[in-house]
Amino acid sequence: MIVTLIVFTVALILSLVFIYYAITEKDLLKAAVFSAGQSVSYAILLHTMAAPDIAMTYLAVSVGLYSALLVFVISKTERYEE
Amino acid sequence: MSRRTIGLIVLLVGVVSIALTTFIVFNPEAPKSVRELGKYYIANTTRDVSSPEAVTAIVWDYRGLDTIYETVVLYMAIVGGLAISTTTRKVSLKTRTGLTSIARTGTRIIVLLIATIAFAIALHGHLTPGGGFPGGSALAITVMLIVPVYTLQSLLDQGVSSTRLIAVRGLALTALGLVAILPVIKGLEAVTNLKFYPSHVAGMLISGSLWLYNLFEFLAVASGFAAVALYLSIPEEVYREEIKGGE
Repeated sequence: MIVTLIVFTVALILSLVFIYYAITEKDLLKAAVFSAGQSVSYAILLHTMAAPDIAMTYLAVSVGLYSALLVFVISKTERYEE
Repeated sequence: MSRRTIGLIVLLVGVVSIALTTFIVFNPEAPKSVRELGKYYIANTTRDVSSPEAVTAIVWDYRGLDTIYETVVLYMAIVGGLAISTTTRKVSLKTRTGLTSIARTGTRIIVLLIATIAFAIALHGHLTPGGGFPGGSALAITVMLIVPVYTLQSLLDQGVSSTRLIAVRGLALTALGLVAILPVIKGLEAVTNLKFYPSHVAGMLISGSLWLYNLFEFLAVASGFAAVALYLSIPEEVYREEIKGGE
């Protein structure tokens, strides 16, 4: 139980750090990678809350599809934010 | 330490302490009626749906009609995207080259692994966590890997185009609808499961229609997202030429 709570808290704070870097990063490609990192820590959160189905879907969609979608969209615009 | 970092740390400590105080003071627990509902599903899924996986049982049996409508909504979104980004002329991208042979070999192995896991997730969806949607999304990722590494042209040469993938998705969705509607012929309700479909085939547990739904949803989601990846990876210049040509 205590291990689960520690993993939960660490993943939660890690996700906050990733969100902060994703928002402040000027290189959009790096920001997409940080966003994927945030999704990974959310997937860990969902798994500690005993929801493996949601964790699996979340990983496939938000790390795989969503990041790929962002990269495709960035390739159509400029890479660096002003 | 800059003022910004200190501000962020104060914010973090504040948010965490507010969350802890709320948890201790209000003690948020699920209402008793919801817990009873959860217990009902855990106790009765094996009897009602003959599937040990309660989540798949809820998604495709207890509230199966919802999920079918969800699939239709996603289909309409993907078709709408294709309608906007369609091109009249044949896309030819001979100038683009892929990555080096190291990346190609690595991608080949990874694509094989992802595809295997995707099939396992989808086809065991009625036994273990997973199902058609996660499996299909995982399979669509292989296409998104192949496009940058092997170029879009190599896929188009193989006859994989977004129009064809949309056709596959349409067929899979039709099959899914048929699985849902077939019980009506025998006078049962639509989306009936065990009264119409057998729970075992050749000694293997397929949990009635759950396995069929998972299979068709897998095909539909995989081909739909792959189609999105293909029409998004057509470069902007093609569209610009298209607009110029139209004027």
